[in-house]
Amino acid sequence: MKTLELDTWYRTSPFAILFFIGKTIRLLAKNAWQSLIPLAGLAATDKFDVISIIKIGAVGLGAVIAGGAILSYWFFRYRLTDDSILIRQGVVKKKQLDIKFGRIQGINTQQNPIYRVLKLVTVNFDTAGSSGNEGNLPAVTRSFADSLRERIGKKPRETVAEDIAAVADSTMLVSLNWRDMVRIGLADRRALIVFAFIGPLMEQIGDQLDGYIERFVLLAAANGIDFDAASGLWAATAIVLAVVLLFVLVSVAAAFLQYHRFALWLDGQTLRSRGGLLTKHEHSMDLGKIQTLRLQQGVVETWQRRFRLTARQAVASGKNRAQKVFTIPSVGAQQADEFRQLFYAPEAGVLTQDPRSDVFAPISPYYMRSRILFVGFLPALIITAATAVTAGAFSLLFLLWLPVVAAVSYRSWKRAGYLHDDNEIVRRSGFLGYRTVGLLFRKVQRVTVSQSRYQRRKGLASLRMYMASGSVKVPYIEHETAKRLRDYILYKVESSDRAWH
Amino acid sequence: MFQNPEIALDALPVADDLDWEKLHPHYSRRIRVQVIIVFAVIALGLAALNFVPNVPLLPFVILYSQWVIALTIALFWPGISVPRRGYVLRDKDILFRKGVIWRSVTAIPFNRIQHVETSNTPLDRKFDLANLQLFTAGGSGGDLKIDGLGKGIAERLRVFILNKAGAPVEDA
Repeated sequence: MKTLELDTWYRTSPFAILFFIGKTIRLLAKNAWQSLIPLAGLAATDKFDVISIIKIGAVGLGAVIAGGAILSYWFFRYRLTDDSILIRQGVVKKKQLDIKFGRIQGINTQQNPIYRVLKLVTVNFDTAGSSGNEGNLPAVTRSFADSLRERIGKKPRETVAEDIAAVADSTMLVSLNWRDMVRIGLADRRALIVFAFIGPLMEQIGDQLDGYIERFVLLAAANGIDFDAASGLWAATAIVLAVVLLFVLVSVAAAFLQYHRFALWLDGQTLRSRGGLLTKHEHSMDLGKIQTLRLQQGVVETWQRRFRLTARQAVASGKNRAQKVFTIPSVGAQQADEFRQLFYAPEAGVLTQDPRSDVFAPISPYYMRSRILFVGFLPALIITAATAVTAGAFSLLFLLWLPVVAAVSYRSWKRAGYLHDDNEIVRRSGFLGYRTVGLLFRKVQRVTVSQSRYQRRKGLASLRMYMASGSVKVPYIEHETAKRLRDYILYKVESSDRAWH
Repeated sequence: MFQNPEIALDALPVADDLDWEKLHPHYSRRIRVQVIIVFAVIALGLAALNFVPNVPLLPFVILYSQWVIALTIALFWPGISVPRRGYVLRDKDILFRKGVIWRSVTAIPFNRIQHVETSNTPLDRKFDLANLQLFTAGGSGGDLKIDGLGKGIAERLRVFILNKAGAPVEDA
């Protein structure tokens, strides 16, 4: 690779055009998909020759996107100086970014299949603060990315080899195999969301299907085969199973796409992860930047006895309040605690974040009572009373709201809890699954003790700790405990001379 | 030399039973003036409805009585809520309390403050008032906004807190 000279403007490789095309398409997919719905409605009316309109539109759109990408590539230039990298971009609206090396917290890279063949990467600078000004450097060589890492004082990784073995010199923490991918896929909640979205559609498909089945049955009957109600039930079950299977397959595929050959290792004080089937993602996070550690478990993960561990960094201020989240998609409880110890060492990390541990202190049962009273009983009563005149006895059905709220409240109360020592606190919550969040007292930004009227009468309060990554609330604990914890947190923060970020 | 003395929990400073500083005495009046302005505008809107022909009397009566009730509450409320608000400036942090039904006490250590802002609206200036906003990391907008401070006090607080916030921090 030719070495770059300082203070000279460079263009990236022309393959960056791919990056700009991808960026535009992502932007469109994110913001413009709603406008496709009326189009679909139009297609359904078949008044116009919509197909050809769409074809023309697609070609036109493609041309515009490609042209825009070429222009973006042309106007995209970067320059290295002693202590910063300057990026100039923008076709119509010019933008210049000056990213000081000192401000860069990490360099993440991404590599899609085409770039992998060409041995190029897209570099993403991870800076504290303004995420609206995030810098991307598309289509540069990996050795350039590594030289950048070196420049900003982060130790570069040894080689670019695909093998996990290449990172053996740093501490290897996790590597996930295909079985884990299946586990992650099965536990993926997004499949359920997709299901909820296409649920109404399913009904229509079902109607169509009814027609087919009817014809099929008639056909079979004509050939002397008789279907009874039981086989109809079997057919329906088979269809449902097929749909479920399809979703499972899609989520497993998604898991493979995102986490294939996921590897996590500790490189000095920096956590690094790599994974992905087509596009390889590489993330990094300095241990000192971690604000909270969150251990989550959904319903499926409960059966698998696995968790998802995420480390959260400060939220950037400004319009794009993006959050840096470092995800370890599948860990066991004990493994998670070992990581905690490693990440928070030497000052903390001794508490467990395993939600099944019996060391968690419960919160007050009044939590449950107040929810039943204010979310369950009162609304149910009001609605019942309001509709009693018009709906008659049917209005009593609204009272069924009460047992639902009661069950949810009881379960949430049972699963809530907290646990702390001199340096850290862990809060547990959950309804279907579990979630525990752990943080260091000294990284708290501000702290609030609040009381509703109801809590005041019972001598209770809620403690909310605001971190740079979001807040963590411990509800319904003794007012005295809350105040003592607050005073202690203030003492910890004010007597700490270590950086919180 | 490195020192790590043991600290008794009972000896920690307690953020309780403090002398809460009251807000500026003009603040309630300032809120009431704002309420009157807003309600006057609404009244104009209501008056315009009179010109609509053929509207039965009852809706008007309901609207006007609601206006009167809302106005009364809005005028009385500052008398209850403003005395409940207050702040305490300590050596290393600032505490702010507020709320009548839902009460809360927020504490911000100075060494977590990112920046400080004072602002005032034309109405504030009429009453010689100013607002103080404190920002910490990760929050959206002002993390702590103290309205209704005297102009001089807000400025003095800003300078004081800014000096404290600039305390050097050793890198982790």
